[in-house]
Amino acid sequence: MKLAMKPLPCKSAQSLAIAALALLTCMQLSAADGTPQVTLNVAKASPRTVESLTERAIVRDYKFAWASLNNAMQTNSTDPLDGLFAGTANAWFGAAIKSQRRSGITSRYLNQVHKVDAVFYAPEGDVIELHDSAEYDLEIRDGDKAIHNEHATVDYVVLMTPGADRWVIRQLQAVPHF
Amino acid sequence: MSSSINTVCKNLKRCCVPALAIVICASVWALWAQAQEVALRAPSGAVAGTTASIGTSGGGSATFYLAGPAIAVKRDVQLGQDISLSPKDLQSAGRYVAIVCAPECTSVVFFVVPSKPSRLTFLVHPSRAPVSLNDVISGVAIPFDEFQNMVIAPLNIQFQLAAKGSAPTSRNVQTKDGAAWFRTNSGKAAGAMQVIASLKDVTAKRVVQQVASDPCSLRIKGQPTAKGILVETEPVRDCSGNPVPDGTIVTFTAKNGNQTSFVDAPVKQDVARATLLVKGSVVVSAASGVAMGNELRLNGKE
Repeated sequence: MKLAMKPLPCKSAQSLAIAALALLTCMQLSAADGTPQVTLNVAKASPRTVESLTERAIVRDYKFAWASLNNAMQTNSTDPLDGLFAGTANAWFGAAIKSQRRSGITSRYLNQVHKVDAVFYAPEGDVIELHDSAEYDLEIRDGDKAIHNEHATVDYVVLMTPGADRWVIRQLQAVPHF
Repeated sequence: MSSSINTVCKNLKRCCVPALAIVICASVWALWAQAQEVALRAPSGAVAGTTASIGTSGGGSATFYLAGPAIAVKRDVQLGQDISLSPKDLQSAGRYVAIVCAPECTSVVFFVVPSKPSRLTFLVHPSRAPVSLNDVISGVAIPFDEFQNMVIAPLNIQFQLAAKGSAPTSRNVQTKDGAAWFRTNSGKAAGAMQVIASLKDVTAKRVVQQVASDPCSLRIKGQPTAKGILVETEPVRDCSGNPVPDGTIVTFTAKNGNQTSFVDAPVKQDVARATLLVKGSVVVSAASGVAMGNELRLNGKE
């Protein structure tokens, strides 16, 4: 059997190219405009398997939590943390923001990309542990002066638990390596 | 560079007024020292809640910043001396950025690791479990240090289970990625099951109330009364012989020809009873969950 490959008509090729360009631009913009990029791999999660609805909810809530964390650290306000961080995570970031405010320091996590693996999902589904290989541009300012700029690659161990209508972060602990 | 300054200073002292030369040289040295990029030495193997120090090079005063998971510090320091960090500065495990500006900024990144475990977060489910069910009880233990840092390094956790009517059991599970878990069957007898997770001298205790499972079989008896027929079960038990909890519903069914009537009655002190308002000859049966009772043929009030 012979398969005939027709060259794409010029208009279709142009449309495809434009669509691809738009997609690429969109992907770049989503990282550049402050919206974190989050991908979650649940293949390694055990002993319970992660249902697809849960997976989507975790990606949504984790992404929103990081966007809010950036907002909180940039504005030195603890309000964006409410409802997204609980327990130790909430206490730690709350303390960091208060001491930043006292010292006149602000921090920004720009161009965030998070590659997340679910490594433990409790038998009853009441806690999930994630390993996040995060990349972002960390900028620390004292007033108007930038005192630190780096492109950081940081490994985080994350504990999330289900709340009434979302997953909340209880532990967000950076580690030297997994 | 420093040797060049030294040479210039020696020449200045020879050809000019020595005092003026000393002032000029001191100023040049100060400017040179400030212009040098400050080198920072990060603490290695810093542990949460302990002291640590950051080595600095150069001279003169500078502004020091420390940004950590739960802290942001700004203070003046002297270059060339170690910057000491207090246990309180380093309570949270994670990534820290130390910055020195004099006035150009130099930074160094270091990690603080958790200290020894002092607390176990222990989640056990369910709080009430029917007896004789496979893999119905599960538990997850996650060790933390005294500063709420999750201890990721592998640790051996012992889970002990003790229930009335069965020999205590225990199993050792090593934490993986900071968590250890188990799953087990419920026992044969109703009552409290103690579940203990221990890690050296740290323990966490939970209780699972084991309750009777669904009724296994039903036996009913009845007798005519002035109002109709009073029917009641014999003590309702599960397949392991445990009395079912009060409130378990037993449905009595009375059939009279084509007419069928139902009465739901809760078990109270092991027995469910109901009065059926029926007339004539009826066949009465009972059911609870998947258990069916015997049939009774009775004559109600005419």
